[in-house]
Amino acid sequence: MGGIALRQTGRTAVRVVTMVFLLGFAVAQLFPLLWLAIYSLQRSSDLFGPELLRWPSDPQWGNYVRAWVDGRIVRYFFNSLIVVGVAVVAVTVCAFLLSYSVARMRWRGRRLVYGFVMLGMVIPIHTTLLPNFLWFNRFGLIDTYAGLIIPYVAFNLSFSVLMFAGLLSSIPYSMEDSAFMDGARMTTTLTRIIAPMVRTGFVTVGVMAFLSGWNEFIMANTFLASESKRTLPFSIIRFEGQYSSDYAVQFAVMVIVALIPILLYFLFSRWVVAGVTAGAVKE
Amino acid sequence: MHMLANRRTAVLLVLPGVAVITFAIVAPIILSVSYSLTQWSGFGDRTFIGLQNYRRVIFDDPTFWRALFNALLLLLVTVFIQNPIAFFVAGVLIELREKTSRVLRTIYFVPSILTVVVAVKLWTNVLNPHYGLFNKLLEAIGLARLADISWLSDPAIALGAVIFITAWHGFGWALLFYYSGLTTVPNELREAAQIDGANRFQIVTRIVVPYILPVIQAVIIIDITASLKQMEVVFLSTAGGPGDRTEFIAHYLYREAFVASRFGYGNAISILFVAIAITLTVLAQRYLSSVRETR
Repeated sequence: MGGIALRQTGRTAVRVVTMVFLLGFAVAQLFPLLWLAIYSLQRSSDLFGPELLRWPSDPQWGNYVRAWVDGRIVRYFFNSLIVVGVAVVAVTVCAFLLSYSVARMRWRGRRLVYGFVMLGMVIPIHTTLLPNFLWFNRFGLIDTYAGLIIPYVAFNLSFSVLMFAGLLSSIPYSMEDSAFMDGARMTTTLTRIIAPMVRTGFVTVGVMAFLSGWNEFIMANTFLASESKRTLPFSIIRFEGQYSSDYAVQFAVMVIVALIPILLYFLFSRWVVAGVTAGAVKE
Repeated sequence: MHMLANRRTAVLLVLPGVAVITFAIVAPIILSVSYSLTQWSGFGDRTFIGLQNYRRVIFDDPTFWRALFNALLLLLVTVFIQNPIAFFVAGVLIELREKTSRVLRTIYFVPSILTVVVAVKLWTNVLNPHYGLFNKLLEAIGLARLADISWLSDPAIALGAVIFITAWHGFGWALLFYYSGLTTVPNELREAAQIDGANRFQIVTRIVVPYILPVIQAVIIIDITASLKQMEVVFLSTAGGPGDRTEFIAHYLYREAFVASRFGYGNAISILFVAIAITLTVLAQRYLSSVRETR
């Protein structure tokens, strides 16, 4: 009897310690962000006060107005949206077609193509930065949306093909056979029969490619020159230069920029998890 | 079955993807090799100097070695500190009720979802010696002595700070990987071990870890590429300084080419970098696979 009771209090203690640890960890993760959000509503000078956090009793919404207008949030947001949007569509389509051919069609060279595409997994983006700066320039791609879209597609292809190839190889071949019996054309088979069967793949690949493009910084920094074409992260950089001592407005810009992927994550977290699972388990 | 043999269609389907990769990854790397054999600022005249750049990088450039060392240090911290914490947290989360677990998972993942610019600028502000949250926190818990350190410009500490920011930003992904790996471990396996009298520790080391070894392998491979190519955090926080204390290889090649205008030299670093990345990945892949087979 005593033993069981002891074991139970022991278990409760372990449970309490675990929960305290987990909550402490959660607070540690979120505290810097909370600090950022709170001081984005204060005056910049409040930041130099002695207290850790200070409730914004007199919220300076004007910081957000200035962030929004002077940070050119709308302009940069649409630039990001165009670049990343086109890249996402292109990468899902290219990856789907490629994976179909490699995973479901028997032809000599398919293994070679698959290996070639997987090379993108090992090659770091950064080694292409220097040569691409000149190479893209030859084609007039520097300082254009296409100059970012193309490498975004290239570097997202390997993962996307890995994902699609896994899904496609699990579909029974009878699917196509019966379609061809009915005299359906290749394009119809692909768009009407196969694509809907791997629609989860489209969402996962799309979400992962979106996140990677939306968060990409160094290529955008290297290949874009004109202010008007820059992507969203640059509103933060821009403010640092222009309002170097206006911390509150800088914080407001950061909050705005941070919110977009966070919201997306809340909407699409299921697909991010699916992508991670595919990447981790289908090695 | 005729389509399965139709090679023309098959090639047509892979063409767009292969073309993009050739154009944006393969061609530039070939070009990079040719640039790396020259002395060139990126504009104007180009002088062919053979392997001299490589010789200089390898034998005569302490910054390169420091940058490589720092990248490897980051990799070690990621694999031996960040990953175990992520694994442990994932292991705890998986035993909670799904609702609680989901909320916590989401919270832990938030930092990873931030754009790298936001993540780094957040920390440069938090660590700011004049108004930063971190030093105020230290003062609040009675460590005022430490409270005027400028974390990102102190030669002894800056590297640690940069590595911390990087590990913080990547933690959510590691957690997610381990968590989704752990969900695949069948309950029957644990239960059977429990019946056989195995304790918690034994279950983890003898059942769970061997079962998700492929996941661990995948995460480590990702860590290798991610650590080697780390440059954004440095670019946005310390620019490699003070001196070259926080220089990382991917940032160093960028700085050499675009800031110091030694474009040929930068490309030589870049090619060595690809070689190192591929070698390390292949070695790790082989080693981890052999561990898996001996299990």
